[in-house]
Amino acid sequence: MNKRIAVLAAFATLWPSSILGQSLLNAAGLGLPSLSVDARARALGGVGIGLRGGTLSASDPAAAAYFGLPAVVMTAQPSWVTADRSDGVSSTSFKGTRFPQLGIAYPAFGVGIVTVSAESFMDQRFEAQKPLTIDLGEGPVPATDSFVSEGGVSRIRLGFARVVGEGVAVGFSVGRYTGSVTRRLTRALDEDSTATSPTSFDPYTSGGLWGYSGTTLTAGASLSVGSFAQVGGSMTWSSALSAKASEDTDGEDRSFDVPFELHLGASAVLAPGLSLNAGVSRADWSGVEADLEAPGSAGSSLSFGVGMELSRARLFGRSAPLRFGYRHTDLPFAMLGDQPTESVWTGGLGLALAEVGELIRAGVDLALEKGNRTDGVLDERFWRAALTLRLAGF
Amino acid sequence: MTNENGTRPGGRVEDIVDSANRCSKAALAATLWLVLGACGEEVPTAVDDALIPDDPVTVEVRLSWEEFASNLQVLGGYGSPQELGTGVAAHEYGGSLEARTLVGFAPYPVAASVPDSTGTTRVDSTLTRIGGRVVARLDTVSPVLVDGVAELALGATTQEWHARTANWDFSVDTVLDQRPWPEPGGGPVIALATAVWDPTQGDSVVFELDSAQVELWADTADVTRGARLDALTAGARVKVLDANLRIDVRPSVHPDTVIQVTAGRNRLTFLYTPKPEPPPDGIRIGGAPAWRSVLDVSVPSQLEGPAELCAAVTCPVRLTSRQLNQASLILTTRRSDPAFQPTDSVGVDLRPVLDRDALPKAPLGSSLVGALGKRVPASAFGDGEGTQVEVPLTAFLKAILESEEGADISAPRTLAILSPFEPISISFGSFFGPGTAGAPVLKLIVTAGRSIQLP
Repeated sequence: MNKRIAVLAAFATLWPSSILGQSLLNAAGLGLPSLSVDARARALGGVGIGLRGGTLSASDPAAAAYFGLPAVVMTAQPSWVTADRSDGVSSTSFKGTRFPQLGIAYPAFGVGIVTVSAESFMDQRFEAQKPLTIDLGEGPVPATDSFVSEGGVSRIRLGFARVVGEGVAVGFSVGRYTGSVTRRLTRALDEDSTATSPTSFDPYTSGGLWGYSGTTLTAGASLSVGSFAQVGGSMTWSSALSAKASEDTDGEDRSFDVPFELHLGASAVLAPGLSLNAGVSRADWSGVEADLEAPGSAGSSLSFGVGMELSRARLFGRSAPLRFGYRHTDLPFAMLGDQPTESVWTGGLGLALAEVGELIRAGVDLALEKGNRTDGVLDERFWRAALTLRLAGF
Repeated sequence: MTNENGTRPGGRVEDIVDSANRCSKAALAATLWLVLGACGEEVPTAVDDALIPDDPVTVEVRLSWEEFASNLQVLGGYGSPQELGTGVAAHEYGGSLEARTLVGFAPYPVAASVPDSTGTTRVDSTLTRIGGRVVARLDTVSPVLVDGVAELALGATTQEWHARTANWDFSVDTVLDQRPWPEPGGGPVIALATAVWDPTQGDSVVFELDSAQVELWADTADVTRGARLDALTAGARVKVLDANLRIDVRPSVHPDTVIQVTAGRNRLTFLYTPKPEPPPDGIRIGGAPAWRSVLDVSVPSQLEGPAELCAAVTCPVRLTSRQLNQASLILTTRRSDPAFQPTDSVGVDLRPVLDRDALPKAPLGSSLVGALGKRVPASAFGDGEGTQVEVPLTAFLKAILESEEGADISAPRTLAILSPFEPISISFGSFFGPGTAGAPVLKLIVTAGRSIQLP
């Protein structure tokens, strides 16, 4: 019982957060979409569908059917980014950690697996600054305009998955959009320290807080073809994403269309201990353009990836599968130039920390990605890691 | 079972796995290092106009007295000269100012430590007073002298006086007891000595006393006991920092030696005339007792200009506390009465009046300016008349705006203009009031922009 409480406490502590930004493209449109998959899927370059074994994935609700024991999955994702601009604006670098996925899978009454998960969806955290000089009649006063966007959109899901036949599993999830964003503009006029009596200015602030809400439904299925292949697919429908301004916010309530999402993926065993995984997902965000202030800034998002897994590798005498992959994503929102893209080379490994027979009671997956995002003007190069902790049978 | 190359079936995979195993530890260490290394957060930050969704405008707005203020009152009588702890002696200063300093002395010392004929220090309580002197220490920083000197006179008071309330006309001036001087100005006195003070020779002036006067002042039961210090030089004004009575005594253990013992002052105040009248159309601060000027402040709820503001946002613009970057009261200095012309810088403080109905004894809020106030040079109240003095009151106006925006606490709307220390000097600072060319102006620095929206 205490273990369960501890697990639930950890779950609450590591609630998926999209408030920790990892790209300047967080400023584009509704933000930077977050791929909420675990470190195994990341290391394989995939989109989180069509993987063999039980996984907790927003894009593959049927995969939870293969959990044999109650399980908790937590993922942390640090990244290091260097951004350059081709238009002469200075380069910058930043780093951050977020927790894009957190979930519990639990066998329910012998009929299937119930899942509860939370995941980040859109990261909207960024800051921008602009130095300027203001003429107040008695001479110029240096000032700085600072804009801060803090927060993002998350999803909470309740799902169910079960095996319905030989090698066939189905699953679905019902979710709610949640989260909030604070957008605040501050103009700070510098104190005139050279004056006989220093003059101070209070900063001007404008902005507010918006809370997000909406509904999302995902349904999917997976099919095992013998013992050498597995295919999975899913669809996600979402209601409009509603953004409601808080009472003391001057800005207006807004609503954004969220597109239909399609996910397809497959794994195949090429040789004993060597398997191939590939996946693709698509969402057409061009429909949300009418809801955005900046015209021509939204497009279709297509992501595909491929990777290989060497499952017989061992580390410290334990099973430690090695993974490599590549993923390419057309990001949906443009900011400065053309529609941005992201290309990532991936690698990683898993490590069974506690095994009972073939069951892994505790394991950790690590992934390391090197990639870049570019829209023709902005060029971001980044290293990104992911660490997923799995606990089962608690 | 091996094949012809010496490897088992599927051996190519096994080779890869073997190689992979060797890499695993390094990969694990590298990934853990990266994960732990990103614990610090650095928000993606760009120096870029394009990412800032609005370009607000910052303007200066000036409101005339009629637009922001009303009900000016100048109130006097705060504190007493005795609280200064210093005195003033002046004669026909500025053409009219007469000021005299009253000093009371502590009881004489009854014993002294004296070395006897063997060199041993003993406490001798049998002291024979043979003479003495009053030593007055004067302020050398800003005395007003004539030909570089001032002649001063010392007299013995002949009437009881109350240091806290004594003034030019009354020796005691309390609510239940008011006693006029036989002669206004602390008189009459018994003339004791005169001396010429030259500040280049030192900061003290000495008045020699004979043994008879020393003996008279030894009687602590005499309620008239005390001294008055006058200026005799017309046009002079000096500040008396301290005064002591130094007594020459002959100790019994060493009768051939004269030593000095000191009776310090236990009271010091000053009397002056004429008593300044409240200005009919001006603002006054400072003085002893001190003056304060009080006004009611109102803040416009909307701004109709200036043009650059209306070009950026739709006018009228509702003025909110968030938009107010700075607010300050601009006062214009005025030449003070020559008799009370400041000789040192004057501090200007602003404080909210917390209970207007309780004026002139209303409690005041915290200073809006700071401990020393806004310093204004003395010359601004003389030849520099017309100098504009900008005194901040941002917090005061923000509180009013927040109150109008629905804050729980009702902000005070009455403002007191005063000296940060009361009293601090006999002189006071004057400013032009409403209805004059230099009437106070309220200066606002305001930033306004469009409301921030989602993208």
